[in-house]
Parts: sequence; structure tokens; C-alpha cells
Amino acid sequence: MISVIVVMTIFLVVLYKYRCYKFIHGWLILSSLMMLFWFSFMYLGEVFKTYNLAMDYPTVAMIIWNFGVVGMICIHWKGPLQLQQAYLIAISALMALVFIKYLPEWSAWVILGAISVYDLVAVLCPKGPLRMLVETAQERNEPIFPALIYSSAMIWMVGMANPARHAEPTNQDTGMFCLISAYNPLALTMLRGVKLGLGDFIFYSVLVGKAAATGGDWNTTLACFVAILIGLCLTLLLLAIFKKALPALPISITFGLVFYFSTDNLVRPFMDNLAAHQFYI
Amino acid sequence: MNLERLPNEEKLTLCRKYYFGGFAFLPFLWLVNVVWFFKEAFVKPTYTEQLQIKTYVKCSGLGFLLWVAVLTTWITIFQHFRAEWGEVGDYLSFTIPLGIP
Repeated sequence: MISVIVVMTIFLVVLYKYRCYKFIHGWLILSSLMMLFWFSFMYLGEVFKTYNLAMDYPTVAMIIWNFGVVGMICIHWKGPLQLQQAYLIAISALMALVFIKYLPEWSAWVILGAISVYDLVAVLCPKGPLRMLVETAQERNEPIFPALIYSSAMIWMVGMANPARHAEPTNQDTGMFCLISAYNPLALTMLRGVKLGLGDFIFYSVLVGKAAATGGDWNTTLACFVAILIGLCLTLLLLAIFKKALPALPISITFGLVFYFSTDNLVRPFMDNLAAHQFYI
Repeated sequence: MNLERLPNEEKLTLCRKYYFGGFAFLPFLWLVNVVWFFKEAFVKPTYTEQLQIKTYVKCSGLGFLLWVAVLTTWITIFQHFRAEWGEVGDYLSFTIPLGIP
């Protein structure tokens, strides 16, 4: 699995270097198409089965068709920013669900750990594939593929007096640009907000999802959630300090994993014992 | 994609494309059109293209309501008569609930 991800990242960098844009575009469109239609179809089926509802094919076809087509339009063409963000989040969540459902128990945890390490290496080392991607994109001064990045509209600038929400119209030239593969995340600031790779969302969701599925009670899940948020804030802080492309995964995932395992093994027996003995703190 | 930064002609083109796109069985696209261009059409001070944008938004809204009516009718009919239709009901069903209705 890890080798697949590594190979694909390197493959993507090579394609970008040799300007095979059509191939990359086609691949992105195909994968987002599959994501939007097929996975949401499966998910909808599961939801209806769980709630024991009857549903007919024509209605389902309408729902999936609408969801999919509007999603494709919003992500790959033009659409309202909030809707685009919502669709990207939905896709990441669906992908995380697929991971959680079809990966065996320990594989998921190992993959989370390994991919954070790989992320750190790939972005920060001078010879790492993602670093080369950043530099190539900077040289060519090109915008990022929309299907791989989540961009928030908030203006997050350190040490600037007036938030320039209605300032210069061209924001595509300033700031740094970077290409991100859907599996390897980067956090990057531009003059007009933060761009976060979709892979980040996916792996955060996998972490919280697994915590919710196997962790037992709400404490573990909540602890993981809080840990990820703290990690993300720290990453953004580092981003403001260093002003370079940074890996977004390692800090959050490390915190998340640490919190999960410690909460699972330490806090739960403690709380259970307290409840059993009716001892309230 | 920020509407503020677009010139008026492009807003009109976008609105028009969303409107025509909705004819491909896409009431959701019409809904997005209405919500997104509502401010542009009705709240902002008048500009040349605004009248056309208003027409498109109104038609998209009408189309969306029509589709909602059609779908609600169909869903009601289906849910009510599904068990009685026998084989046709099963053929049309995506999920069949367990247990006695």
C-alpha cells in the first residue's frame, strides 16, 4: 500500500515535469467521477438499508445524477466557493469511509503512521518528490489543479494591518503554488487564504473514523478530534512562521494517534471504574 | 470562485450556462443558480445585464419548484403503492425494507 502511494507520487511528479497535463487532467477527472458517482451510490445504499427504507431506482438515479454532475461542475469548472468546499469535504469523507471499511484493522494504523513519516520526508527533503513539485510549479508560476486542493476563503495573514478582502483582483500571480497528489498533503499559504491538500482531509477522517468505529465510546473519538484540530492549528502557525510549503499530516496524525491509544488504554478503564464505583469527580 | 470579481457579462454568461444546464434533468443545478445569483439579481443596484439575470433566476426557480412537485408526487405514489404493485414494485426498488409493512 505504501509502495503504491510512493510510486504514484513519483509518477505524478514525472508527469508534471514533462508537461503531460492532459494525462493528469484526465486521470483527475476520472477519479473524481468515480468518487462522486459510484461511492456515493454505495454509501446511499448502505444508509437506506440501515434505516430500512424503501427506495426506487428512478429516485436514486435522480439523486446520484444531480449530486455527481453538480459536483463535477463545482470542482472542475466554476461554482460557488462554499459548494466547492462542501463537495471536496464530502469526497474526502467518502474516500475515508472506503478506507475504513475495506482495510484490515492494523493496516490502517500502520498506514497512518507510515504516511506521516513519508509526508515529512517528501516535502522537506531537498530531493523529495513533493518538494520538486513545489519548485517546478513555482518556476512555471501556474495555478494548482482544483480537484486536489481545498482552499478556504479566510484571509489569514500575520502582521498585516487591514485584511485585504476586496483588494487587488489578481491573486493568482502572488504567493506560492504547488501541485499536490491526492494522497500526499501539503499546507500552503497564499496571500488570500490557506490551501490544504485533500489528502490531509482524507487521512484525518480515517483517523477519526477508525477511532469512532473501534474505539468504544465517545471519549476516544472526541480526544482524537481535538488532537487533530490542535495539530492543524500548530501546522498553520508553523506555516505562518516559515512561509513555505509544509507537510500537514505529521503533527496532527502523531497527536491523534497518541491521544487515541492513550485514551483507549488509560482513560477508559479509569472512567469505567469510576462509574462502577459511583465516584464522581 | 468569487462573483464579486467577475465583470457583468461573465456573470450573465455563467447564469445562462447554469440555466441551460439544468434542463438535463438537473433541478439541483437550478437551485444552485437561484441561490448563487439571488443577490445579484434582486439585491444589488441595477446594471445593464441585471434584467436578463433576473429572468434566468426566476425561470430556474420555477423549474426547480416544478421538479420538486414532480418528484414529491412520484415518491409519494411509490411509497404508498409499492407493496401492492407486486413484481413491478420489486423491479423498481433499489432497497427493499425487511419485515411486515
